[in-house]
Amino acid sequence: MAEILMSEAERTFILHGIQDNVRSDGRGCEDYRPIELETEVVSNANGSARVRLANSDVLVGVKGELGKPSLDTPEHGRLEFFVDCSANATPDFEGRGGEDLALEISSMLARAYDCPSCLDTQALGIIKREQCWVLYVDILILECGGNLFDAVAIAVKAALGNTKLPVITVRKDENDETELEISDDPYDCERIKILNAPCIVTLSKVGNQHIVDASLQEESCCLSRLMVAVTENGTITASKTSGSGSLNPESIIDMLESGKRAGTLLNKTLHAKLLEEEVKVGTKKKTMGFLT
Amino acid sequence: MPVDNRRLWTPEETIPPEFITKYRPTTELVNQNGKRRDGREANQHRPTYLKAGAISQAKGSAYIEMADTKVIAAVYGPREVMKREDFTMSGQVKCVFKFATFSCKTRQKHIEDDREKELSMTILEALKPAIRLDKFPKARLEIFITVLQDGGSALAAAITCGSVAVADAGMEMYDVVIGCSLRQIGERSLIDPTTDEESHRSLSQSDEKSNETSQAMMTVALMPSINQVSSIIQKGELSIDGAKQALKQCLDTARKLHPVIKQCLNKAVEAKLKR
Repeated sequence: MAEILMSEAERTFILHGIQDNVRSDGRGCEDYRPIELETEVVSNANGSARVRLANSDVLVGVKGELGKPSLDTPEHGRLEFFVDCSANATPDFEGRGGEDLALEISSMLARAYDCPSCLDTQALGIIKREQCWVLYVDILILECGGNLFDAVAIAVKAALGNTKLPVITVRKDENDETELEISDDPYDCERIKILNAPCIVTLSKVGNQHIVDASLQEESCCLSRLMVAVTENGTITASKTSGSGSLNPESIIDMLESGKRAGTLLNKTLHAKLLEEEVKVGTKKKTMGFLT
Repeated sequence: MPVDNRRLWTPEETIPPEFITKYRPTTELVNQNGKRRDGREANQHRPTYLKAGAISQAKGSAYIEMADTKVIAAVYGPREVMKREDFTMSGQVKCVFKFATFSCKTRQKHIEDDREKELSMTILEALKPAIRLDKFPKARLEIFITVLQDGGSALAAAITCGSVAVADAGMEMYDVVIGCSLRQIGERSLIDPTTDEESHRSLSQSDEKSNETSQAMMTVALMPSINQVSSIIQKGELSIDGAKQALKQCLDTARKLHPVIKQCLNKAVEAKLKR
């Protein structure tokens, strides 16, 4: 991750602030920074979203393609996550520099979405063993301002919620061969249910306390963090530690609790915002002219 | 995908026959008496054999066998870092985790895939907090871990094996690291799952009931003497209380394995002194 240089005095300042539940930008330990969200930003993708979490900027595009189901789940569609850490974000990502971080993010997302209750992949299946929807979720990191995982997860959830897949009907022709018919009306489309999809909450251990949504400065004071993928009803679909330090078992339990609190709240806020966005964009075909 | 041209060519697409056969194990994972298919209790770890110093040329090495899971690890270095831009004042650790091509039910590729890369990173994160990096500045320690046979809980075995190998290499450490896995299927939590238990979801896909119950897998790395958790990795849905419970069970089992590691390291040191 992008490293920044800080003096010992700055570190102490941040550390003491967190101990008193006042962080350097005035937030409490479990508060998020302001989040900006836009959906349907890329017209060529089936679904897209852009999230700006203070200085972290993430753009996500979802493209649906038809492919073969994987062998162990012949009736299900699948999701493929790709993360591109652009060198625009920080020069450290140039060349192969961002590869490890990209892999860490994409595998965390793949694990978070790999559970039947949070995303119904069976609805993405078309013909058993033959055809299914493969959703390519491409994540582009434009700016790195701390807490990338959370920003990425919000953007992915919003982009999936925004995804419109054309309706496909399977028919048999006279030679008994299966045929796929794709609806050519752009408004005749299927949506993906994302109500139970998870958001990732990163809890960073700074001193004896833990905080959510660490800024770049706070991240450099923290030795170990716990990332939990939380759904709206408070269950955890994936979790993982990261960083060079270790954690006390008791503090992990505390972190799980605050992860649940922050995660459910984040999910609720996101759903409300997505609904608002949906109304603004509209799902109905606008009638124009006399002949339609 | 990069293609490896130097090795023997196989057909471009092959399917392991297990995916075509209709065979499904008929016995339940846990029978009425609460015993698992291999006769264990739900919270019982498989019998574990651990040996330090399995590879004579390496600085340190270890071999672990948990029934059908067999993992070998070797440690080389610390060696000088040659590239100037990689220079750091604290020591560096590199970890390469590999499934042998024949180790799993489906054949593994020679080239490291994303799953192996992620597991390498997880193992590195689990081992690094235990190693005193300040003792070998400007140098890099290399850990190579190969799974010879995957009979379930390979990650947990690899973490334990890797830490014993590092200790065997005589590196200064704060503590050894012990890995332990747990598989949650509905209300049942099974410690140290076998491959059957790990892949239970894909076996019973057809019955609809299994979709409703929670299915999760958690692996925890513990440093027992200083009571610190160096890594957790979990997938699958768990409630908060379920996650806490799973964490506690993993930690308890890991603590039980501590004497095995102590004894193994003692033996290795004795053998070295005799030489």
